[in-house]
This record gives sequence, structure tokens and C-alpha cells, in this order.
Amino acid sequence: MNESDQKPIIILEDVCKFFGDFQALRNINLQVKKGERVVVCGPSGSGKSTMIRCINRLEEHDSGKIFVDGRELTSAVKDIDAVRREVGMVFQSFNLFPHLTAINNLMLALKLVRKTKKSEAREIAMRFLERVHIPEQADKYPSQLSGGQQQRVAIARALCMNPEVMLFDEPTSALDPEMISEVLDVMTDLANEGMTMIVITHEMGFARNVADNIVFMDCGQIVEMKPTDEFFENPESERTKLFLEQIL
Amino acid sequence: MSDLIAWSDDYFWGAMVVLKIFAVSLVMAVAFGLIGATAKLSKSSIANKIASAYTIVFRGVPELLVILIFYYGSAITLTSIGRVFYPQTQFIDIAPFWAGAFAIALIVGSYATETFRGAFLGVDPGIVEAARALGLSNLHTFFYVRVPQMWRLALPSFGNHMLSLMKDTALISIIGLEEIVYVAEMATAVTLKPFTMYMIVALIYLSITTVITLVMMALEKHSNRHLEGAL
Ligand SMILES: Nc1ncnc2c1ncn2[C@@H]1O[C@H](COP(=O)(O)OP(=O)(O)OP(=O)(O)O)[C@@H](O)[C@H]1O
Ligand SMILES: [Mg+2]
Repeated sequence: MNESDQKPIIILEDVCKFFGDFQALRNINLQVKKGERVVVCGPSGSGKSTMIRCINRLEEHDSGKIFVDGRELTSAVKDIDAVRREVGMVFQSFNLFPHLTAINNLMLALKLVRKTKKSEAREIAMRFLERVHIPEQADKYPSQLSGGQQQRVAIARALCMNPEVMLFDEPTSALDPEMISEVLDVMTDLANEGMTMIVITHEMGFARNVADNIVFMDCGQIVEMKPTDEFFENPESERTKLFLEQIL
Repeated sequence: MSDLIAWSDDYFWGAMVVLKIFAVSLVMAVAFGLIGATAKLSKSSIANKIASAYTIVFRGVPELLVILIFYYGSAITLTSIGRVFYPQTQFIDIAPFWAGAFAIALIVGSYATETFRGAFLGVDPGIVEAARALGLSNLHTFFYVRVPQMWRLALPSFGNHMLSLMKDTALISIIGLEEIVYVAEMATAVTLKPFTMYMIVALIYLSITTVITLVMMALEKHSNRHLEGAL
């Protein structure tokens, strides 16, 4: 392993976030190295989404510091755009652009953000649709696709921007059970290719398979962060144990 | 019949004026509507207030008065400015075409502001977030994501606004624009056949509005194409 593999690509230092009087994040400290796969779990309302949404500044943190690839997240628009180009995000509810076909969903940001020529953008988009195994759906609109297919288009849309890091916010929670594995398979492939990933999920089978580290959150805090095996075999805190009992 | 033939050229050119004014004010009305809706939805309370004042005034005053006040108001202002530089100035006005187009664009724009505002609120915020997360700028997100989404929701009401806009053009003859109502007045004065002359105007308007309605139906179908064959 060389030096750059060791350097954290994402750093959160004492990050706090308030919604009005309510504190959603309490002094979050987290470091994610290049190529690392982190799974985040915890009960509903514990701040998981808020934490990863701070990383690409869909939410603004109130105090503390966040660095992505050495760039601090401040209110400077240029820095935010630069960070968003390096961080891909996949949402629970897919959030595809309904008025665009699958391939145009991929091409939009390539053309507008990456300034890629149309013909080249189409090639890139097609390559990524192949990678998530749905090139034949390229010209369909999102409403004509199944949930699993939509989520794979959404993953391809984030990937074709060539991000350094991928964030997943419960990517399979909105899916019918029979479609969960097709999405998890794509994510597992991605992990095996060395993508840096932060994944919020309750799919503990996937977590065991793929994650290097597991973060357990509760009440806006990181209660526990451990290498995967250790997390499942001897969780320290009572809250983690309780959570694992409920979910496994 | 011979009267009609004698005036057909004037009606034709009058109708061209109507179509031109419709096209020009439609573009302006859409722009005013987008700006107004964005101002109403913005976090700035000054922008909110200006936009509210705009919609209250232009939806609350009869169209005819807006046109008259706009035309004479601008003419009086321009004339008094003109007199500062050239004391012998008699009367300067904005061309009735532009004064009229601007006035009805402001009126229809105020209705469009409300329609667009409601439609923007109907856009799924998750989709806007996805655009931001992909690194699209505010401007790109607005024109490539929010407006196309909003548009689908706004189309049915916007179709009605287009019909009002078309019908409002009939009012502009009052400030001397030579469109078809104006032609009918002239023709009536000469032929003494008001019923025939105004009936022609009505038929011309009816054929234009029918075309607009058909175009709107096609547009609605087009904008909902992504829902066809939905699972
Ligand atoms: N925009 C907001 N305004 C006010 N409160 C919010 C907002 N977003 C989140 N919260 C609150 O912050 C807390 C953390 O929310 P968050 O969505 O991060 O939880 P989560 O761990 O992702 O939960 P879930 O598993 O249900 O998705 C919750 O109590 C939630 O009600
Ligand atoms: Mg969440």
C-alpha cells in the first residue's frame, strides 16, 4: 500500500447540525480512506441521512469541519460544485428525472457539468448502462422501468460522472424484495472494483460481505465504529447490541 | 359580399398584427411568469413583496385600463422628458404595438406567475436534490430540471392563459393599433354593416383560438409522453 491509499478522502471533524432547536448531529468524527467501504446503520431518526447529506452539502453543517479530498466544505459555491463533482449520490427514492429517458438521465450532467460532447456523452452513458446490466432500457422513461431498474439507472447516473466517492442512502429500502438483490449485486461489483463507498443500509448480509468498517449511529452520535467482523462479533455498547438483535 | 372582398386585405394584415402581438407578448408573459414565480418562492422577503404587489395589481385592474394607463402613462412621461430637451415637443409615445404587447404580457404574466408558482411547488424536491448532487448549477437545475417538471403541471392552466392573451389583443385597437377590431371599425364606418364586419373579427379570433387549443392538446400529450405505458 502506498501513501495515497492511506490518506483519508473524507474527514468529518466535530460536525454538528441543527434543525431549528433540534440537534440532528452531535460532534461527528469520521474518516474514510480511499477505497474504503463503510456501512452506516442505526435506528430511524438517528441522523444517518443527515450525516451523509452534509458530505455533499445537501445539508449545511453548523459547526465543525468537513474535508473531501483535501477541500474544505464552506459556503463558497465553487468548492461545493467541485466537491459535488467528486461525490456521487444514490437516493432511497431513485430521484431520476421523470421527463428524460434513462440514457438522457445519464447524459444531462455529462453535458452540462462535464461539458462532454453529445456523441461522446452518449457513448459514456451507454457504457455505464451496460455496467448496471440494462443497456436495453436506455430509451425508456423512468416510469416505464421497475424500481430495481430505476435504481440501477440512478447508480449509473452517479457513476458516469466518474466520482471519487459514492454515497448511498438506503438504496434498497424502497424496493420490492425480489428486486433488492439486483441492486446489491451492482453495488458489490462496484465495491470489488475499489470504489470508496459510504452506504446507509439495513441489509446486514451486504454489510458483512462488502464493508470494511461499520458505523452505528444513535441520537445524532456515532456510538460505535469498528471493522466489520468485530462489529458483529463483539459489539461494545448496549445500544448496538439491542439494535443488532432487532435487525438480525 | 363585395364589401368583404374590398376589405379582405385589411383583415388579413390586421390578423397578421394580431398574431405578431400574440407571439411577442406570449414570450414576455412566460418570462414575467417565471420571474414572478421565482420571486414568490424565493427566500427574500423583498422579492416576495414585489411579486405579490405585481400579481395583486395586474390581476385586480381591468385589462382595458391597464392598456390605457400604460400607453398614456408612458406617453406622458416620455413627452415631459422630451420637453426637457426640446421644449417644442408635442407628443411622444411608445408604438401602440409595443405598449399593447407589453401591457397584456404584464397582465397574463401575473396570472402565469400564480400558475407557475403552484406548479413549481408540485415538483418533487428529491429530483432537484439529485440535480444538485450531480453538480448542476442553480441555473442549469432551473432550466433543465425544475422548468420541464413544472411545465407539465402548469400546461392545462397555461392553455387558458394563452386563450385570454389572444382575446386581450382585441383591446389594443383602443390605443390605435391597426388590428382586426380596428379594421372592423373602419369598415363599419364606410359600409354601415357592423354585424357583418364584427362577425368576421369573431370568426378570425375563433379560428386562431381553435388552433391554440389544438396545439395545447398536442403539447399536453407530448409532455405526458413519459407516463405512457407506465408500469
Ligand atoms: N429538513 C429537516 N428539518 C427538520 N428536521 C429534520 C430535517 N431532516 C431531518 N430532520 C430530523 O433530523 C433527525 C435525523 O434525520 P435523518 O433523516 O438524518 O435520520 P435517519 O437516520 O436517516 O433516519 P431514517 O432511517 O428514518 O432515514 C430526525 O429526527 C429528523 O426528524
Ligand atoms: Mg435516512
